Amino acid sequence: MRPHIYRATLIAVAALTLAGCATLRVSSHTDRGLVWSKYKTFDWGPADPLPASDPRLEKDPDFHDRVAGAIEKAMATHGFEMSARSEEPDLLIHYHANITARLDTDRNRYQDGTLVVDIVDAASNVLLWRGWAQGDIEGALRNSGRMRRRIDEGVGRMFETLPERR
Amino acid sequence: MSAATRLSRVAATGIAALALAGCATFRVDSYLDRGADFMRYRTYAWAERGAFETGDPRLDNNRFFSQRVEEAVDLQLTARGFEKASRGDADLLIRIHARVDQRLESAALDRIDGHCIDNDCRSLVYDTGTLLVDMTDRRTNRLAWRGWAEGSLDGVIDDQRWMEIVIDEAVARILARVPRNHS
Repeated sequence: MRPHIYRATLIAVAALTLAGCATLRVSSHTDRGLVWSKYKTFDWGPADPLPASDPRLEKDPDFHDRVAGAIEKAMATHGFEMSARSEEPDLLIHYHANITARLDTDRNRYQDGTLVVDIVDAASNVLLWRGWAQGDIEGALRNSGRMRRRIDEGVGRMFETLPERR
Repeated sequence: MSAATRLSRVAATGIAALALAGCATFRVDSYLDRGADFMRYRTYAWAERGAFETGDPRLDNNRFFSQRVEEAVDLQLTARGFEKASRGDADLLIRIHARVDQRLESAALDRIDGHCIDNDCRSLVYDTGTLLVDMTDRRTNRLAWRGWAEGSLDGVIDDQRWMEIVIDEAVARILARVPRNHS
């Protein structure tokens, strides 16, 4: 009997662990001819009419701060600087978040969240890079700590796909 | 489970995987307005573009997607003898629509006798994309021709190169159905 209980517990723990950190899918599209070294400074673009188009995100006061903070950190890691207030930035950044109910392969409904980040040439307003992170945020919608970890992971991994700034 | 059942199941899974793999599996079709006389059409222009909404936040207002489609259409129309003209002069105005939806498809084997083999009632859930090309007669403002392709997009959008290949192939197969305009 004992080994059975032990085994069941192990499986339960494993299942819980997996459910908690189901991986986010991240990827990006980019301008292949792009010379990133031309660009040094960035700033936030004019606010989208609806930066986060889902009321469940809008009511979370932390959400925008956390996303913006994670993006600023990732940009700094890539060698970009936030432009000084008096200067014109080289790049403008926009992001957009949305939530859609989707079905997984077992036909279970879940809440699929997408965070899209656009990096735009400030002078020409041309999109240079778009990155995104997508995944199940069912649990994160009910737990702000989990949401913060989701945002940090999504933004961090999405920016790993940004071409090197040489 | 008998060996035969297992084998047929493996085969069915293999076929389903192939079908979903992408590239060659578009469903392509078109509609031709009865009154449209393609022998008269020689020039085209892009209609004014509205908001590019696709139902997928990765593709909405994404120039890496929309420009690739436009380039592919330009290439195919040029190869078919159409010439680009200004919007005010062109015989035809071109519009693109793209749409991404999640589809639910029961596994192929479920349908044979109406039962789920081994109680495995799992379904195939995948993203499908529809790309639609409209040609409007500029003078009459009537839709002269519409062509479209529909196919699985699983994994395609997340891979820029693969997406470009799928776009090029979808556009080529859609526009292969445009009636000849002149010899």
